[in-house]
Amino acid sequence: MITKLTSLLGAGAIALGAALGTAHAADTVKVGVLHSLSGTMAISETSLRDILLFTFDEINAKGGVLGKKIQPVVVDGASNWPLFAEKAKQLLEQDKVAVTFGCWTSVSRKSVLPVYEKNNGLLFYPVQYEGEEESKNVAYTAEAVNQQATPAVDYYLAEGKKKFYLLGSDYVYPQTTNLVLLEYLLSKGVKLENIGGGFRKDGSGKIISAGKYTPFGHMDYQQIIAEIKQFAASGDACVISTLNGDTNVPFFKEYAAAGLTAETCPVVSFSISEDEFRGLPAKQLVGQLGCWTYFQSIDTPANKKFVADFQAWLKKSNVPGLVKEGRVTCSPMVLSYVGVYLWKAAVEKAGSFDVDKVRAAYQSGLSFDGPGGRVTTQKNMHVTKNVFIGETKADGQFKIVKSFQNVYGEPWLKGKFQAK
Amino acid sequence: MSAPQVRRLELIAVAVIAALLLVGIPLLHANGAISNFTIGVWGKYLCYALLAISVDLLWGYTGLLSLGQALFFTLGGYMHGMYLMRMIGDLGQYKKPIPDFLVFLGWERLPAFWEPFASFPFAMAMVLLVPGIIAYVFGYLAFRSRIKGVYFSILTQALTYAASIMFFRNNLLLGGNNGFTDFKFLLGYKLNEPATTRALYLATAITVLLVFLFCRWLSKTKFGLVQQAIRDGENRVLFSGYATSHFKLFIFVIAALIAAVGGALYTPQVGSINPGEMQADKSLEAVVWVAVGGRGTLLGPIVGAITINALKSWATRAYPDLWLLILGGLFVLVVLFLPGGIVSIPARLKTLWQKFRSAPPPSDPTPASSPPTPLSASAKS
Amino acid sequence: MSDSPVHRLPPTILFIVVAALGACVACAQGAAAPTPRQLIAEAALTDDAAKKRELIGRLMGQGDPAIALLLEAWRTDVLFVYTAPDGAKVPVLLSGEKDAAGKQPATRVDTNALLTDAASAPLRLAATDLTAAEHTSSLRRAMKAVLDLADLAAPEPAKRTKAILTIGLAQDVEKLPALKARLAIETDESVKRALRESIAIAQLKDPSNETKLAALGELKELRSLASTDFITRALKEAEEAKDPVLAGGARAALRAVESHRSFVDFFGTLFRGVSLGSILLVAALGLAITFGLMRVINMAHGEMIAVGAYTTYLVQNIFATGITIPFFGFSLPIFGLNLTGAAYQWYFIAALPLSFITAALVGIGLERSVIRFLYRRPLESLLATWGVSLVMQQGLRLMFGANNVQVSSPVYLSGNWLVNDIILGWNRVFVIGFAILIVFGMWLVLTKTPLGLLIRASMQNRTMASCMGVRTERVNMLTFGLGSGLAGLAGAFLSQIGNVGPSLGQGYIIDSFMVVVVGGVGSIGGTILSAFGIGGIDQVLQQYLPYIAPGLTWVPGIGSFLQNLAQDAAVFGKILVLAGIILFLQWKPAGLFVTRSRNLED
Repeated sequence: MITKLTSLLGAGAIALGAALGTAHAADTVKVGVLHSLSGTMAISETSLRDILLFTFDEINAKGGVLGKKIQPVVVDGASNWPLFAEKAKQLLEQDKVAVTFGCWTSVSRKSVLPVYEKNNGLLFYPVQYEGEEESKNVAYTAEAVNQQATPAVDYYLAEGKKKFYLLGSDYVYPQTTNLVLLEYLLSKGVKLENIGGGFRKDGSGKIISAGKYTPFGHMDYQQIIAEIKQFAASGDACVISTLNGDTNVPFFKEYAAAGLTAETCPVVSFSISEDEFRGLPAKQLVGQLGCWTYFQSIDTPANKKFVADFQAWLKKSNVPGLVKEGRVTCSPMVLSYVGVYLWKAAVEKAGSFDVDKVRAAYQSGLSFDGPGGRVTTQKNMHVTKNVFIGETKADGQFKIVKSFQNVYGEPWLKGKFQAK
Repeated sequence: MSAPQVRRLELIAVAVIAALLLVGIPLLHANGAISNFTIGVWGKYLCYALLAISVDLLWGYTGLLSLGQALFFTLGGYMHGMYLMRMIGDLGQYKKPIPDFLVFLGWERLPAFWEPFASFPFAMAMVLLVPGIIAYVFGYLAFRSRIKGVYFSILTQALTYAASIMFFRNNLLLGGNNGFTDFKFLLGYKLNEPATTRALYLATAITVLLVFLFCRWLSKTKFGLVQQAIRDGENRVLFSGYATSHFKLFIFVIAALIAAVGGALYTPQVGSINPGEMQADKSLEAVVWVAVGGRGTLLGPIVGAITINALKSWATRAYPDLWLLILGGLFVLVVLFLPGGIVSIPARLKTLWQKFRSAPPPSDPTPASSPPTPLSASAKS
Repeated sequence: MSDSPVHRLPPTILFIVVAALGACVACAQGAAAPTPRQLIAEAALTDDAAKKRELIGRLMGQGDPAIALLLEAWRTDVLFVYTAPDGAKVPVLLSGEKDAAGKQPATRVDTNALLTDAASAPLRLAATDLTAAEHTSSLRRAMKAVLDLADLAAPEPAKRTKAILTIGLAQDVEKLPALKARLAIETDESVKRALRESIAIAQLKDPSNETKLAALGELKELRSLASTDFITRALKEAEEAKDPVLAGGARAALRAVESHRSFVDFFGTLFRGVSLGSILLVAALGLAITFGLMRVINMAHGEMIAVGAYTTYLVQNIFATGITIPFFGFSLPIFGLNLTGAAYQWYFIAALPLSFITAALVGIGLERSVIRFLYRRPLESLLATWGVSLVMQQGLRLMFGANNVQVSSPVYLSGNWLVNDIILGWNRVFVIGFAILIVFGMWLVLTKTPLGLLIRASMQNRTMASCMGVRTERVNMLTFGLGSGLAGLAGAFLSQIGNVGPSLGQGYIIDSFMVVVVGGVGSIGGTILSAFGIGGIDQVLQQYLPYIAPGLTWVPGIGSFLQNLAQDAAVFGKILVLAGIILFLQWKPAGLFVTRSRNLED
C-alpha cells in the first residue's frame, strides 16, 4: 500500500516537473504561441503557428526586438477551451512571456480573456470575428464585421443582387454577423421577404436571429441546397455563407451537384481563405467569392517578397510536422505576421517590453506596411486595413475584383444600421 | 499480509495523500513556494478526479459504462456558472446589469429563469437538482427496459450529443458555444485573488476527500455489495430477488450528483464553462482516466485523473506535435498489459518480486491489494 | 460605414484607360457604328466595369458569329492583351501551331487581321508572356446574356433551355418576339416548356390586362416554380389596381405553383432520405460486421473510413502529377502517371478496390496487434481502440498535414438530372446504387462462400467452431479485415460527399453506432432498415419542421424557444432523431432485430 502512495507521488512529480519553467536567458525575450496543433481546430491553426515561427526567424535574423532575440514558447491548446485557459496561465505566470500570439475561435479567445485581464498580459488575435468586444489586453488584428461582411454586401448590391440567402454554422460568430447583416441589408432598402434562411422572433415579434444554421460537422446539405435552388429560381439571388471550415466541403460539393454556379447564384464565404482552399474541390468553386484583408494574389513587390520568403523558410525549416508542399499564405496568417511586426513597432516605440507601455504605444496609431498594404493601429485595439473582394480560381487562388482602402475596424456594429 | 495490516496501510496511505493535498499544497501556496498557476491546475485536476470517481462508481462498481458523465459535470458547471454570471453585475462589456450575450440577443431585462440564480443557495440547489432529475428520468427509462452493456453506453452518448447540440444554440439563452466566462466574484470575493484560488482549491480537496470516504463507506455496505454483484452477474442478482433496476437507478443518480459537484467546483477555477465540455469524447476521456488509474478501486480514478491530466499539461507544452501519439499509445498499452491500472502496479511488482526470489508460492496467490476485476475481465487470465 | 470604395489602379493601367477612352471618343466621332469586333476589343481594354458591361450589352442581338467565339475566349482566359513596345495595347487571340519557344501567331481582335510589328512583319507571341483580359462575374453575366440570345439557336437542348430561362427571368419584353419565333419552330418538348414559361413570365410585364391574364393562366398550367416571385408581384399590382379578375388569376396561378412545390418537396425529401440512408448504411456496414458480428467496439472505425478516403486522395494524385508526403521530417515522393482527360477520370474507380485493400490491411494489423487480446472484454476494446483512433488521427495529421486535402469529383459524379423539378444528383444516385451493390456483395460473401460459413459459425459460437476444427484466430482476422475494408470503401465514397481530413472519421462514428444499435446488434438486415429509417426521418424532419414551427407557441414557458428551434430544422432534426432513438430503445431494447441467445449474461 505504501507503494500506492509512491506511485501517486510519482504522478505528482510529473506535474510538478511540468510546472518548472525553463531557464531565462538575458538576451532573449519569450513570446507565447497559443494555437491548437491537435484536435478539430488544428486544421486551421497549424498554419498560424508556422507563419509565426517564420516571422520570429525573420525578425531574429535582423537583430530581434530591442536587441533581444525572440524565443518562441509554442504550446498546444488541443482544441480544448479550458486547456487554452490553462496554457494561457502557464505562458503568463510560469514562462512570463512578453506577448502571446494565438487563438482562432471566439470561444478560445473568450476562455483566455479573463486570464489576460487578470495578469495584464497582451494577446494578439488574428482571425475574423464577430466584434462586440473590446479588451485592453487583446490586440485585434482580426477582421471586424465591417471589414469583411458589410463590404461583401456592398459589392453584391453594386452587382445588382436583390435576394440574399444567409447561411451559417450554429455558433456565435455566424449568428452575430448575420444579425448585423440583416440590419445592414434592411438599411440598404432590401425587403425582408428577399432575405432568405428564415427568422427567429421573440415573444414580442422582434427578430432576434436571421439565417439558416447547421450544427458543427454537418454533412448533409441536400435539403438546404434544394431550398436555395428554389430561392434563386427567379434570379438575382446570392448566398452569404458563414459556414465554418469543415462543413464547406459537403456544402459546395452539393451546391455544384445541384447545378448551382457562381453565375446563377454566387456564394461569398467569410471563412474560406487560400489555406482552407487546400481542402476544397477548387474546380467546383470557380467564381465564388471571398472577402478578406489580404489575398496571396495581391500584386505588389512587398507581397511577392513575403510569399517567396515564406516558401524559402518552409524549405529549410525543420519544425516537426511541418507540411512543406503546396503551402499558401492567407489573411489570418498575414494578420498574425502583421501582428508580430506591430508588436515589435510598439515595443520599440515604448523602449520596453512592459505591457502597459507597449499598449500605450500601440494605441497611439502605429503603421506597418505589410503584404496586404498599410495597416494602422487604432485606439480601440483594432486596426485599420484594406479590404479585398476576390473571385476564386481553379488553382485555389483569388482574383481580386474590388478593393476598399483603409477601412476602420469597428467592433460595435449592432444597432448601428437603421432600416429605411 | 493479514487483512487488518492491509487496512492499516491503506488508511495511512490515504491519510498521507489527504494531508499532502489538503494541508501541504495550500500551505506551500500561502508561503509562495507553489505558484497560483500550479495550485489552479491542481484544483482542476481534483475536479476531474470527482468526474473520474463518478465514472468509476458506475463502471468499476456497477458495470455500467456511462458516456454521459461529462454531461452531468457540465450541467453542474452551468448551474454554478449562472450564479457567477449574475455576480458580474454591470461590469460586462456592455455595462448593463444582465449578461453580455443577452444584451446582444436584444434582451432588455433578464429572462424569468435567470432571476433566481442571483441567490447562491438556489444555484447550489440547482447544481444538484438539474443533473439529478435528468439522471433520474433517463436512468428510470433506461433501467426499466433493462438496457445494459454497450446499449447503455451508446444511449448515454446519444443523450450527451443531443444536449451538446442544444447548448451550442444561442436561443437556449445560455451563451451559445461561447458559454459563460469573464467571472468576477464568488460570494463577494474577487475570483482573481490568490486567497480565493486557494480557498477554492481547498474546497475541492475537501470535497474529493468526502466523496472518497462516502464511496468507501458505500462499497462496504450491503448496498455496495449488491451493486458489485450486479456488475459481476446481473441476472443472478435478479434471480435472487433483488430489484436490480432500483439499485442501478440509485447509483446512477448518485454518480450524476458527484459529477455535477465536480463541475460546479470546476467552473470558477477554470474561469469558463461551455458546451465543448459535454461532447462525447470528454466522457470517453474520463473513462480512460479510470482505466489508467485502476478501475474498480477508489484511489484509481483519482490517481488516473491526476496522472493523465498532468501528463497532458506537460506534453502539450513539451511535445505539441506528438503528445496525442504518446497518450493514445499509453491507453492501448494500459488496456492490454495493465488491466488493473496504475494502482495495481505495486501488487504486480510484489508478485514479480516473489517469483524472483523463487520462494514457494504463498498459500493465497492472489495479492490482497489487487483490485477486484470483473468476471468478464478475469475470464481471460 | 463612411469609406467609399476606390479602385486600386496602378498608374500604368490608368494611363491605358485614358488612352483607350481617348480612342473610344475618336471612334465614336467616326461615321460608321463600331463592328462587334471593335466593341469587344474596346471592352477588353477599358478598366471601368460599368463601361465594359455597357459595351458588351451593345452586342445584344447582333448576329456576328465572331461574338460567340471571342466572348468564349475571353471567359476562358485565352483572350490576351498585348502591349506593343510603344505602350499601345492590343487585344489578341493566339492561334495556329506553337513553335519550340511556345510562340504562336496572334490575331487582332478588332480587325481579325494578323498582328504585325512596326515593320509589318507578323508577330509570334507566347501565351505565358501575355496577360489575359480581365473579367468579373457581373461581366460574365453580361456576356452570358449576349450569348444566350445567340444560344437560342444552339444545337444542344440544354443550352437552349438555359438561354431561354435567362431571358425570361429578366422579363425582357423586347426579346419576346425572338422567343415566340423560336417557339414556332422548336421541336424539343422540354425546351418548348421553357419557352412557354419564359414568354409567360415576360408577358407579366405587358401593359395589357388580357395578355397578363393569359400569361397567368399559362403559368398556372405550367406550374412554374421560377415564376413564384413574379406572380406574387403581379398579384400585388393587381390588388393595388383593384383588379379582382387579375388578382383572382394570380391567386389561382400561385395556388397551382404552391401545390407543385409541395409535390416537389415531398418527392425530393423522399429521394434525399434514401440517399442519406445510403450514406449512413455505407458508413455503418463495416461496423455492423466488426461490432455487430464480432462484438468489438471499434472506436477507430472512423479512422478506417479516413484511411479509405486518404487512399482515394493518393490514387487521385498518382493519376495526376504525383505527390510528396512529409513523414516525421522525411519526404516520401510518390511519382504520378501524369494522366489527363478521360483516363484521369478513372482514378475514382481504381481507388475503390485500393481503399478496400488498404483499410483491410490496416484493420488486420490492428486486429493482430491489439484487438485479438480483447475479444472477451468488449468494453475495454472500446478504450483501446479509442487510443488507437487518437494515434491514427495524429498519424494522418503528421503524414498529410492538419489541413483537409482536396479530392475532386470525376465528371461522372458531378452533374445532376432534373426530373420534374426534383434534383437528382449523380453522386447521390451513385451512392444509392453503390449501397445496394455492397449489401448484395456482402450477402453473397456471408451466405454463399465457405468463408462466410466460417465467419457465421465463429461469430455464433467461437468455442464450438474452434472445437469443430475452424481456425477461429484466422477467421477473426479475416472478418475484422472485411469490416475494416468496408469502412475503407465507405471512405472512398464519402470523399465525394464531404471533406477529407484527419478527423473525418469523427463525423461518422456516432451515427454509425446509432445505426447498428437501432438495427439490432448482429443483424445486417436490421442495420439496413435502420439506416434508411434514420435517414428518411431526418430528411422529413428537416423539410417539414419549419412548417409546424408556428404551431408550437402554445407550449407554456418554452413556446417561443421551441418555435425558434424548429426553424433551425437541421439542428432540431438531429436532436429529435437522437431523442427518438433513446425512446425507440425503450420499446425495443435490443434494436429492430434481436439476435436470440441462450447465454445467461447476453
